[in-house]
Amino acid sequence: MGNVNVNIDGRKIRVREGSTILEAATANGITIPTLCHIKGQVPSGVCRVCVVEVEGSKTMMGACHTPVAEGMVIHSKSPKVIAVRKVIVELLLTAHTGDCVNDSNAENCALHNLASDYEVGAPHFNVRNPRFYPAEESNPYVKRDMSKCILCRKCVKVCGEVVRKDVLSIGYRGFKSKVVSGFDEALTAEACRDCLKCIEHCPTGALSAPARV
Amino acid sequence: MAEKRIVLSKCGSIDPQDIGTYIAKGGFSAFIKARDKMKPQAIIAEVKKSGLTGRGGAGFNTGLKWELARNAKAKAKYLLCNADEGEVGTFKDKYILSNDPFGLIEGMCIAGLAIGAQQAFIYLRNEYHFLYDPLVRAVGQVREKGYLKHMDIQVFEGAGAYICGEESALMNSIEGMRGESRYKPPYPPTRGLWGLPTIINNVETLMNVPHIINNGAAWFSAIGTGRSKGTKVFSVSGDVSRPGVYELEMGSTLRELVVGLAGADDLKAVQIGGATGNILPASMLNTPLSHETYLGSGAVVALNSGRDIIDVVQNDMHFLNDESCGKCTPCREGTEVMLEIFGRLARGEGHEGDINSLDALARTMAVSSLCGLGQAAAVPVLDSLRYFYNDYIDRINQSHFLRSYLSGELFKSEEGIR
Amino acid sequence: MVPSKKEALSENGRAGLLPALKDRAGREGSLNRESMSGLAGQYHLPLNEVYGVSTFYAFLPVLPTGKNIIRVCRCLPCHLKDAQAVIGSIKKELGIAPGETSRDGKFSFELVSCIGACDQAPAMMINDKLYGDLTPAGIAEILKSY
Repeated sequence: MGNVNVNIDGRKIRVREGSTILEAATANGITIPTLCHIKGQVPSGVCRVCVVEVEGSKTMMGACHTPVAEGMVIHSKSPKVIAVRKVIVELLLTAHTGDCVNDSNAENCALHNLASDYEVGAPHFNVRNPRFYPAEESNPYVKRDMSKCILCRKCVKVCGEVVRKDVLSIGYRGFKSKVVSGFDEALTAEACRDCLKCIEHCPTGALSAPARV
Repeated sequence: MAEKRIVLSKCGSIDPQDIGTYIAKGGFSAFIKARDKMKPQAIIAEVKKSGLTGRGGAGFNTGLKWELARNAKAKAKYLLCNADEGEVGTFKDKYILSNDPFGLIEGMCIAGLAIGAQQAFIYLRNEYHFLYDPLVRAVGQVREKGYLKHMDIQVFEGAGAYICGEESALMNSIEGMRGESRYKPPYPPTRGLWGLPTIINNVETLMNVPHIINNGAAWFSAIGTGRSKGTKVFSVSGDVSRPGVYELEMGSTLRELVVGLAGADDLKAVQIGGATGNILPASMLNTPLSHETYLGSGAVVALNSGRDIIDVVQNDMHFLNDESCGKCTPCREGTEVMLEIFGRLARGEGHEGDINSLDALARTMAVSSLCGLGQAAAVPVLDSLRYFYNDYIDRINQSHFLRSYLSGELFKSEEGIR
Repeated sequence: MVPSKKEALSENGRAGLLPALKDRAGREGSLNRESMSGLAGQYHLPLNEVYGVSTFYAFLPVLPTGKNIIRVCRCLPCHLKDAQAVIGSIKKELGIAPGETSRDGKFSFELVSCIGACDQAPAMMINDKLYGDLTPAGIAEILKSY
């Protein structure tokens, strides 16, 4: 495959054909935020915080999964893009429950950091029933606090495509979607061993290492 | 203005369980012509030239789509007929499948020749289970006649998910997965079912194909408007005296359909295209119906002057929230937040900020959602804010009134308290 | 871009999953852990994956259902024709709310998305049979026939 010429934020860039907008931007020092993308893996395209404007397109495009094309003119930081990302971050904060503010790990939370980068404060949206699941501490390797989950699916992806254990899937539909194990039951030590990859990739505090007793 | 029946021309005059009655009316003459006298490229050229567009809502040129799949190099290609009619207020495909299954199958046979598909599926929604056996029998009769030597047709039944009418979700569903949307590109004609070139056409789109092959592209493109050729089958319901299925030339006005044929009077608004459809005030009844203006799936729900627009949009949003696949953030979270807002507005607990929230949410969902569901979920919200802004303001003012003059007890006793 | 286990199996191998789940749900009323585990084994999928697919679709119940399932349409065309009154009548007749199953196990009652009978609104389905142009007063008669 050859190279194509694109324009990102006014900069003329020459990139390998077949790369995604995100790859083209990253290679040229342009930062586009992501919450669901795992470098080197097939993109998920679910979180939508990486959307960018592409001239000629009615809708914005997910940078993580849209391949570049010759002559593409991309705006990754236009006021419209920023406004849309802010609403998406605010939506993620709305239904997400947990004690992030008091959490000493807050600076490790990608959602928390993105919210502060985009100056999104306390959300002013409401949902009828915020997601609330009791924290699950039965597994010796992974503590699951699904109330903090933002359904980015990185854990499902890494467990299936990288570690090849496939113990996690998405269950239910729409707002009620949830990462499930087995018959939607606690993650057992037989199913999930100590690879800890999902913890490494979880952008929030939904998955963490249990405190050693 | 009278109806113009092309798609529905055989409905009612044949026995849907007897292929002989269909053939007696000229059925399968188009297929025989296409098979014996036309090269696949010629079939595609004819359909392309006719200007036939997808009737499921998107309005893409059908021949152009077929050509993409035809030109794709692959070990196999698929043809899918989308009979997952789930758009609120739409029942035209049910009418077609009940009355003229052979017309659809003939259209599929021709499409199969054109794109070079060996396997086809009819994706039938679970709610139309009663059509499953008749359809399988109809396919069997066509097979017995020897018209399915080039391709097999399998009827595949869904399991209750509106989103499976979205083409990538439909393919996931056939593959045995959750019916979630995929991002595009890649598009199905190049990379679809099991990663192979796939054409997905609506029932009504395929019904047009035999007529185009028999009568020619010029005949077809003489009907309709600039970008919208042929007819459109509409499903009309709501506040009308004659709800039902009507087929009109593209470009006919909303008034001809809703008032003239379906018998509405005292209209306040109509919603066109289901829960994600446009909501237009009665003052726009002279609007022609076409891809250039408003069309969608052809669902038209009439709303009389006694109807509450906020109640209508709340009902739409309830549906979209139930049916969102949940894969992407804007749609999954956005429909939920909007539903919370509409719930409060309906209960008299709205405030000015709600209008800004709805507007910001709708605009975000429209441009950033992964698929058409989340993108179009914004449409009824934005239209109602545009044409019925005062209904929102009145409701919010009433909310202030309620809050100021009534005691808190009222809210505690009802479901109003969260 | 190596396909995962899930994807590798998806090439036709997994294609029968939805019909198989439907078949099982149809015969047993709902999909319990045993039947899902059985299908998971048959299709070489983890149980969580089969559970994820089942819980996505409205017609694949995971919780036990009654012998007959009443599905009343709650979408706009039926809503405009006072589906609410029909829902009220069913509630009264069976003594259960939407989402519940009657004590005798005879009926489950659900509110569902558009069933494509908008010209006969308000409408409902009991199992696969469609009932249109419903009136609150006519509900008792229909339910009696089950």
